[in-house]
Amino acid sequence: MDATPGPVTGPDPDPDDLGAPNPDGSDLPEAAERRFSEGAFTSGLSVSDFAACLQMGLEPVGYVQGYCVMQWRWYGAGVQYAGWGPSTTRSGGYSEVWQCPHGFVSAEHRSWGQNYEQTWIEQAWTNGFSASLERMLDEAESAGAHGVVGVMDSTQSLSDMGVVEFGVRGTAVRVQDGPPPHDGRPWSTYLAGQRLAKLVEAGYAPVSIAATVASVRVWANCITQYLTEGGAYGWATQGATQEITQTANAHMAVRRLARQQVRDQLGSDSLHGAAMSTTEHELGEGDAELQCTLRGNRVRRCAPFAPLPVPRPTVRLL
Amino acid sequence: MSDSPEDTTDAAPVAAQDLPEGASRRLQELEQGLFTSDLSVNEFLLIKEVGFHPLGLVMGSSIYHTGIQTRRWGQSQELTKLTEAMYNARELAMTRMEEEAAELGADGVVGVRLDVNYYEWGKDAAEFIAVGTAVKAESGQSYRNKLGKPFTSDLSGQDFWTIMQTGHVPQGLVMGTCVYHIAHRGIGQTLGSAGQNVELPNFTQALYEARELAMTRMQDEANGLGASGIVGVRLEEKSHQWGSHTIEFLSLGTAVVKTSDDVTLPKPTTIISLDN
Repeated sequence: MDATPGPVTGPDPDPDDLGAPNPDGSDLPEAAERRFSEGAFTSGLSVSDFAACLQMGLEPVGYVQGYCVMQWRWYGAGVQYAGWGPSTTRSGGYSEVWQCPHGFVSAEHRSWGQNYEQTWIEQAWTNGFSASLERMLDEAESAGAHGVVGVMDSTQSLSDMGVVEFGVRGTAVRVQDGPPPHDGRPWSTYLAGQRLAKLVEAGYAPVSIAATVASVRVWANCITQYLTEGGAYGWATQGATQEITQTANAHMAVRRLARQQVRDQLGSDSLHGAAMSTTEHELGEGDAELQCTLRGNRVRRCAPFAPLPVPRPTVRLL
Repeated sequence: MSDSPEDTTDAAPVAAQDLPEGASRRLQELEQGLFTSDLSVNEFLLIKEVGFHPLGLVMGSSIYHTGIQTRRWGQSQELTKLTEAMYNARELAMTRMEEEAAELGADGVVGVRLDVNYYEWGKDAAEFIAVGTAVKAESGQSYRNKLGKPFTSDLSGQDFWTIMQTGHVPQGLVMGTCVYHIAHRGIGQTLGSAGQNVELPNFTQALYEARELAMTRMQDEANGLGASGIVGVRLEEKSHQWGSHTIEFLSLGTAVVKTSDDVTLPKPTTIISLDN
């Protein structure tokens, strides 16, 4: 790959450093440029979203997309735990150590446990996602668009190759009789059609999509391990229901980290339609990897709030 | 088959001798006024509202043998033979469906579904099927496309109504495809980047290029129809029966042409549903 970075167009040049996918110096694949030089517009919107966009003065320019394939290894797993004491996590970020209260050790007894944030995984995810997003915006910009609506993102693992492909797609639009965005960079939003119209009517303008991943690894100590197994652990539980503090803390931490990361991206704007999902990847008795994804639309107030007209009540006759 | 003298539809059916005998009998019956359709009641009413009448369910199919093409283990490349096969087979199925529609004197076909079936009896063969409902304008005005053929579209009845209100008329279901082989990674490459999360620009480029090719081909079809745009573009990825390293990128959408600047869609009313 050509090491010279493409022209820095966006406010955030970092993703360009990953190497442009086109050796001739432009950020877009050859076929993309050919595609945009042709006549017809393409729109990935459903017909009702398409109609609603036309109605609010958004003219579709083209279906735009950006991709980034990342080498992806969960290499945090399986190497850091040592039964005799907490390892250094190196990663910075959140970490918490759980010590054994029993005062004895053996090779089988997990006298130390720890939770820590896997910042390298978060970093890799952010790189892959923002590189795809920037490439999509490059396509939109080269098509002369003002913004991108109906964005969809995906991650897809490519079979046995240990690689993950990030993808961001959407429909680029031009605002009829509207000025181009002042920094030249198109705005973007997950919304389209009526959902976008309602947002604009309420006095907000879309700025960009916002998404982040937080990742926390749990290495269970003895108590967490026994509690998770559900086995008889007499002198700790006495048969009563009890919180598994280490796991609970990890769950809280991963959500807090995701929210914090998105908040850091927002500046003075707000997040609309945030959607948070957490997955737990079990790796052993009490050991787990938690991943929290948070997505939403970064929006900026552009007009005083004007409430929608009073809705008309309806009843369906089924 | 269709040499009946009263067959005076404005554009003569394209190579209608392609159709099986069963089809022409069925279509003759349909011409006598009975119609079949897979439209729901709501779709039927909306299509009537916008001034069209369903004529009959039309279909086309093609069983295609996909040839063999060698793939280089370590190279990402387009498999042009497979691309052609996938493309031609769909095109054939669509053309036969269009022929059936033309036989009926239709202006177009709505709600087209495009399916691929694999059967146990033919390992390298796939059946491509296109099914939709042929419609005709009640005003007698012709809505056929630039090529004089009935338009095709995968729009539902609701979508068809909505798109007509925006001053656009469908021209044809357009598609582009690209079958791509993704390179395997050599052991050296894998070890070289083991333990790092880094971008693999070669892979990014290969997949990116394949999708752009599929979309460009779709746009070429739309330009051939003189369309002003394509709505409802979908990008599908399937490995069919080729193993995980060979992927078909299919892009599909309905080409439309702008016939008027007026968007006659009424301003939406805000409602609150009292159902639970």
